[in-house]
Amino acid sequence: MLRTTLATALLAAGMMLAAHSAQAQCKSFAKNKCVPGLHPYKFNETFNGAQLSPGEEAEVNLTFYSGQEYRVMVCVHQILGEVNWKLVDQNNKIVFESMADDPKTHFDFKAAATTQLRVVVWVPSKPKTDMVHMGCVAIMVGFKE
Amino acid sequence: MTTKRISRLVLPMALLALLAGCGGNQQPQDTLTTDAADSLAQSERMGRTRKIFYNIPSPMETAALLKKAGANYQGAILNDVKNVDKYTAASKQALNLGVYGADLSYASVFNHTQESMFYTSCARRLADKLGVTSAFSDSTLELMEKHQNDRDKLLDIISETYWDMDRYLKVNDRDNISALMIAGGWVEGLYVATQVAKANTTPELRQRIAEQKLSLGDLLSLMETYGTDDQALNGVREDLKALSALYADVGGGGGGVTATQENGVVVIGAEGGAATLTDAQLAAITEKAAAIRNTYIN
Repeated sequence: MLRTTLATALLAAGMMLAAHSAQAQCKSFAKNKCVPGLHPYKFNETFNGAQLSPGEEAEVNLTFYSGQEYRVMVCVHQILGEVNWKLVDQNNKIVFESMADDPKTHFDFKAAATTQLRVVVWVPSKPKTDMVHMGCVAIMVGFKE
Repeated sequence: MTTKRISRLVLPMALLALLAGCGGNQQPQDTLTTDAADSLAQSERMGRTRKIFYNIPSPMETAALLKKAGANYQGAILNDVKNVDKYTAASKQALNLGVYGADLSYASVFNHTQESMFYTSCARRLADKLGVTSAFSDSTLELMEKHQNDRDKLLDIISETYWDMDRYLKVNDRDNISALMIAGGWVEGLYVATQVAKANTTPELRQRIAEQKLSLGDLLSLMETYGTDDQALNGVREDLKALSALYADVGGGGGGVTATQENGVVVIGAEGGAATLTDAQLAAITEKAAAIRNTYIN
C-alpha cells in the first residue's frame, strides 16, 4: 500500500516536473527560434504557446489596432512537422489560411481599422504509433511602431 | 470538448492532464476545414483537445499606441516611486509590478530616460520581493544603465525583462502573480491614457481608449479562467467587471472584416465603424479607472 502510494506520488511529481520543463522549453524555443523571425517587426512581448500533439488545436483572439502594421507568425517545433493555421474574423470568415501541404510561416498586413481576429492552429493527425510526438507551437505577433 | 487555459496563464496541472491525455482516442484529421465554425463544431464532436489563449496587449505596445495617438508625456500622473516600500502583500507587489512596468514603458517610449531608470529600480525591488530576481538580475540593470541613451536598445531590454519575468512566474507555478501583474499593467495603461486625454483630448486618443473595450474583454476572459479561491484576483475581477459595464454601450471596433490589397500589402478593414466614446462615457471610464488604480497603488 505504502509502496503504491509512494510510486504514485513519484510518478505525479515526475510528470509535474516534465510539464514544467516542457513549458520552460517551449518558451525558450519561442524566444530563441521564433522571435528572430518577426524581424523587422517588434515582438509584442506576449507569449501564446504550448506543447501540442497531433490532432490537437489551439486558438487565440488577437486585437489589431488601426494604423499599425503587423506580422502574425505561427512557429512550430520540427518534431511536429507542418501545421494548419488560419486567421478568422468574428463572423468566422477566413482572412488568411496556411495549410500543412503548402505552409506559410507568417502573414503580414496593415490594419486600416481596429479589429479582433482569431488564430486557429491545428496539428494534423498522424497514423497511430507507439511514439507520441509533442512539440511546441507558438503564435507570435510583431508590430511596427 | 475539453477546453484548457494555456498561454499567458499556464496551469501546470492542465499541462499535466494534457501530457497524461495525449495520444488517446484522436480521430484522423489531416487538414483544416475551410470554415472555422465547422472546424470547431467538428472538434467538439470528436472530443479533441482545444486550447484557448488569452492575449493582452503588453504595456509597451499600449504606450506605443498612445504616443502614436498624439498623447504627450505627463510624469506627474505616474505612481510615485516612494510608494514602492509600502507594498508588503504579495498581491499588492504583483499589481504594482504591473503598474510600475507600465510606467516604465510609458517613460521609455516617450524617451524620458531618468524616469525610466527610477521605474526600473521600483520594478526591480518588487521583483526581488516576489522572488523573481533571477529574471531581473543585476546584469539587466547594468545593461539598462549602459544603454540608457539608446532608446531602441532600452525598449528591447525592457521587453525581454518583461518576457523573462512572465516566463519565470509561469514556469514556477505562480500564475496568479502573473495575472495580477498583467491586470495591474493594463489598468495603469488605461489610467494613463484617460488622464492624458483629460488634458489633451485628440480624436485618435479617444478612439484608442474606446478600443480598450476589446482588450478588456480578453483580460476578463483570462481572469474568469481562475477559481474563486484567491481574494486578490476576485477583487481585480470585480474591478474589471465594473469597467466593462461602463464600456457596454461603447460601439464599433469589432465584427467582420474586409481584406484588400494596396501596393502589394494586405490591408484589413472593418465592416463596422471605428470605436467611439461620448463625453459622458469617457468621463465615467476616466473616473472609474482612476478609482480602481488608486486602490492598487495605495
